[in-house]
Amino acid sequence: MSESGRAWDEGGPDRLYTVNRGRAPEEPRPVELVSLIVARAEPEPGMAPEAAAVLRMCRFPLSVAEISAYLALPVSTVGLLLAELLGDGRVEARAPVPAAVLPDPELLQAVMHGLQNL
Amino acid sequence: MVFAGTSPGGRRPASTLVWVIPPAAMALCAALAVAVVPADARAAVIWCGVVATLAVALAAVEAIRRGLLITMLRTRFTAQEAGLRQRLVDQEKAIRRLTQDVLPLAVARLQRGAGVDESVKDIDHVPGIDPDFDAAHGQLLRWVLETVRTEEDLRDAAQRAFVNIARRVQAIVHQQAYDVREMEDKHGADPDVFEDLLHLDHGNALIGRLADSIAVLGGSRPGRQWQKEVPLFNVCRGAMSRILEYERVDLHSVADVAIVGPSVEPLIHALAELLDNATRYSPPKTRVHLTAIEVQSGIAIEIEDAGVGLSEEARRRTDAVLIQAATGLDLNDLGETPRLGLAVVGRLAARYRFQVSLRPSAYGGVRAVLVVPQDIVCPTPAPGGMIARAAKLPPPKPVKRATPLPSPTRARTGPVPPDRPGPGFRQNGAGLPQRHRRMPMATPVPPPFSVDSAPPAAPAAPREPARRPVQPGIWLDAFTKGLNGEPIPAADVVEDAPGPPAVPDPRKAPDTPDTPSTPNAQNTSSDKDE
Repeated sequence: MSESGRAWDEGGPDRLYTVNRGRAPEEPRPVELVSLIVARAEPEPGMAPEAAAVLRMCRFPLSVAEISAYLALPVSTVGLLLAELLGDGRVEARAPVPAAVLPDPELLQAVMHGLQNL
Repeated sequence: MVFAGTSPGGRRPASTLVWVIPPAAMALCAALAVAVVPADARAAVIWCGVVATLAVALAAVEAIRRGLLITMLRTRFTAQEAGLRQRLVDQEKAIRRLTQDVLPLAVARLQRGAGVDESVKDIDHVPGIDPDFDAAHGQLLRWVLETVRTEEDLRDAAQRAFVNIARRVQAIVHQQAYDVREMEDKHGADPDVFEDLLHLDHGNALIGRLADSIAVLGGSRPGRQWQKEVPLFNVCRGAMSRILEYERVDLHSVADVAIVGPSVEPLIHALAELLDNATRYSPPKTRVHLTAIEVQSGIAIEIEDAGVGLSEEARRRTDAVLIQAATGLDLNDLGETPRLGLAVVGRLAARYRFQVSLRPSAYGGVRAVLVVPQDIVCPTPAPGGMIARAAKLPPPKPVKRATPLPSPTRARTGPVPPDRPGPGFRQNGAGLPQRHRRMPMATPVPPPFSVDSAPPAAPAAPREPARRPVQPGIWLDAFTKGLNGEPIPAADVVEDAPGPPAVPDPRKAPDTPDTPSTPNAQNTSSDKDE
């Protein structure tokens, strides 16, 4: 973290609150840390570089945590950025995919009982 | 004095001749008397006549002598008077030269840092009116210069003290900004703490700008020095981050260029002062527009507000402030300057050759245009700014999407199975790529990393259906490409992987192991960032 902070500090004179453009982080966070973000639009010339970067890197689904790491920006800032992009419909958030999607055991049990009762 | 204009030389022969007349007349009278008187008195009359004639002659001689003396004295006085007049004129001339030429020159030299002796050394001296006068003259000059020197030293000391204090504040502010930035990273997931940290960060930046202003007014350069060029977008946003009401600034189209390192901080500071003026002197609900476009002479950065506007008189005053600051600003005048920011902008503009103009805007507010000269503008190394460069890190994964985006590079990429490594290496039991030995061949070896620097369109072009011998070096290239996640050249795909196109599997995509690419990506990031 210290490395990325240093990189930012050496890299740019702008501070994080200008990236956020003064908006406070929203309490119910629009995207979870593990949500997958997919771009639905191409970056446009007038966009902020962060937004363009998100669109460029999210051609394939990336989690919010990954985006935060790649951009070297804190999760809250990335969350705001993504919330704006989501509002514009430029990206899409997908629920995190579990390792194996297993149906509910109760449902399975109910089906089993139903089959047995036939 | 009255006779100064008359010529004494013309009267001299007449006056000498005139004085012959009285003795002659006397002698004539005596002769007449001698002739008239009876003979017995003749002897006495002759004596009397001779004596009288002699007396008159003596008187005449005396008169001539005195006349000559007077003439001589008059001539001498006239010459003396002319000399005195000439000397007066010379002295006036010397004093005029002292005030008009010598003193300004010497003071200018003094202000450039020369000593008193150096300043007076090679000033061309007009010799010879009077040694005393010359001495007094030189002494006066010296004394004035000494006084000026003392005052200059005093002023320099005061400015240095100012700058010194400002530098210390800046050091603390920079350290604090760095710390806050680390804390922001650390507590980025906690919205409450994060918000407070941003607040602190903002306040810190405001202090930093004040310290920068003091440093600039003290004749120093503002703040930190940037080693590398910085994209203009980040410069504009850096300026925004240093004003109180940055939320009101709309950053519109910004030219995709960068500013060379040494000029970054002055530009940020000048823009921040202009933005501060714009937000301060406009209603709180209005927006301030910041745009940067390329013009013939460089980059024109416009700041437009919808504020109280600029009357003709106010415009003249602001121009005067800018010009005055450019020609040199006395710290004593600062108290009377109502807008400190403009003085700072003027200073920076003069020093770094920015052209600043404030004109009434079409919105009724003020439109400030700052033109950055061409020679401090350079093409940006990373279009879109630092963030975009960082964003190049995640490699595009070689998975075909169910709904491909209209991306030219992706469209050309051949279908590659996601779990299959590139040609030139095979998998071992653990599923990791493993090298196998290559036989040396006689064909010339291409440089192993040459394809890396080729444009991305290159791999699609050589589509050879025939199987051709694999050249040594290609496998290393393919290996690095596989690590970077770049598309594998079509020829290699045809040669080694003629299998069916990958089945699009949206569930599989996120689970694809990314292990080889991630450390590599971090490597490239550290390479680029150093």
